[in-house]
Amino acid sequence: MADSAQAGDYAGGEPVACHECDALQRLPRLWRGQTARCRICHAKLLRVPRGGLDRPIAFFSAALILLLVANSLPFMTLDIQGRRAVTTIFGASQALYEAGMGGLALAVFLTSIVVPALLILSSLYVLIDIRFALSLPGVRLALSWISHLQPWGMLDVFLLGVLVAFVKLGDMARMHVGVALIAYAGLIVMSAAASASFEPGYLWRRLARQRRAARAR
Amino acid sequence: MRARDFHLAGCRTCGLLQRLPAGANGHCPRCGSRVRQRKLESIQLTWVFLLTAMIAYLPANLYPVMTVVSLGRTQSDTIISGVYYLLLHGDWPLALIVFVASVLVPLVKIVALTYLLLTVQRRSPLRRAQRTRLYRLIEMIGRWSMVDIFVVALLAALVHAGALATILPGPGALAFTAVVILSMLAALSFDPRLIWDHEESYAAT
Repeated sequence: MADSAQAGDYAGGEPVACHECDALQRLPRLWRGQTARCRICHAKLLRVPRGGLDRPIAFFSAALILLLVANSLPFMTLDIQGRRAVTTIFGASQALYEAGMGGLALAVFLTSIVVPALLILSSLYVLIDIRFALSLPGVRLALSWISHLQPWGMLDVFLLGVLVAFVKLGDMARMHVGVALIAYAGLIVMSAAASASFEPGYLWRRLARQRRAARAR
Repeated sequence: MRARDFHLAGCRTCGLLQRLPAGANGHCPRCGSRVRQRKLESIQLTWVFLLTAMIAYLPANLYPVMTVVSLGRTQSDTIISGVYYLLLHGDWPLALIVFVASVLVPLVKIVALTYLLLTVQRRSPLRRAQRTRLYRLIEMIGRWSMVDIFVVALLAALVHAGALATILPGPGALAFTAVVILSMLAALSFDPRLIWDHEESYAAT
């Protein structure tokens, strides 16, 4: 069964207000991979992603698997004069908690594990619902929180932190890359590719069209 | 043509344009979220978050973010001295990235948001497009400042188990996280549409 969104094209003509300058305008006709921008302030109004829905579903599924691997196996191993220390991603927030900084531990736990996991799971849920016209419950809610949660998922920032930690400990101890770290690097690539093919504005319009069609039937 | 002048509003969540009388708020028929002409109490809320972030900025930079206890020696690092350490150890590209993320970005964010708020309150007609672009930039870069906190957490986790040394997060780390989160909340509460609200020649564009 092919993804049948009239080749993913967007007919255009719909009136919109720019979310950054409130300029009233009509959306142009868009083909896959094209972006409509505000004629006053040049903000992105709508993008029709390439690859329909199958591409983001594939990327998010891969990201989900890598997320599980990255969180369950040793992340980094450290050798200090024969002593060995292993940590996981969760170990980072745990160490803060044990040092008596509960609030900080919570902030790290949420941004490095909970929000990224929530974003991947809810994106998959929404995509699969629209792709197979399932009318699952809570899809509107999931799609709304995805846009609001996005800045708080900090996978990429965390990876930069890993890099800096490596350099800082480099002259003090021998560092080994764990399997989870390789999975984590893959996860960053996958979730970047997934977000590039995931466009909430486009999904909202497909969702609305699907609901209308279901009601007419 | 501003949508508000026609009693129309675009939903912040899904973008659907809908009829909305001045001062009223409603629920978006497409996504169910609350729709307003402008973000609720945008200017006041942004000021609150921004001023709190400014206050937290001082302890964030004055107190150590981490303390290393190794073989009886104790060494404390602030955000700035952490960058200096990276620079000394020959890794200047990384030092530059960390300097930008944890020193420059919070400062630029605080200054830029103050500028945006003041110009909006003075109904400044100048450089609206550039100010909108500035807002877009600070909305995007804020999260990268969290990098130093992740570094402290990772170091504490790794060295903790090593037993020869201990790395403890310092009070500066808590204040710095507060700066990052508060300035992100400030950017999210600011409504860029306010920049364009008193544009009289808007109809002509």
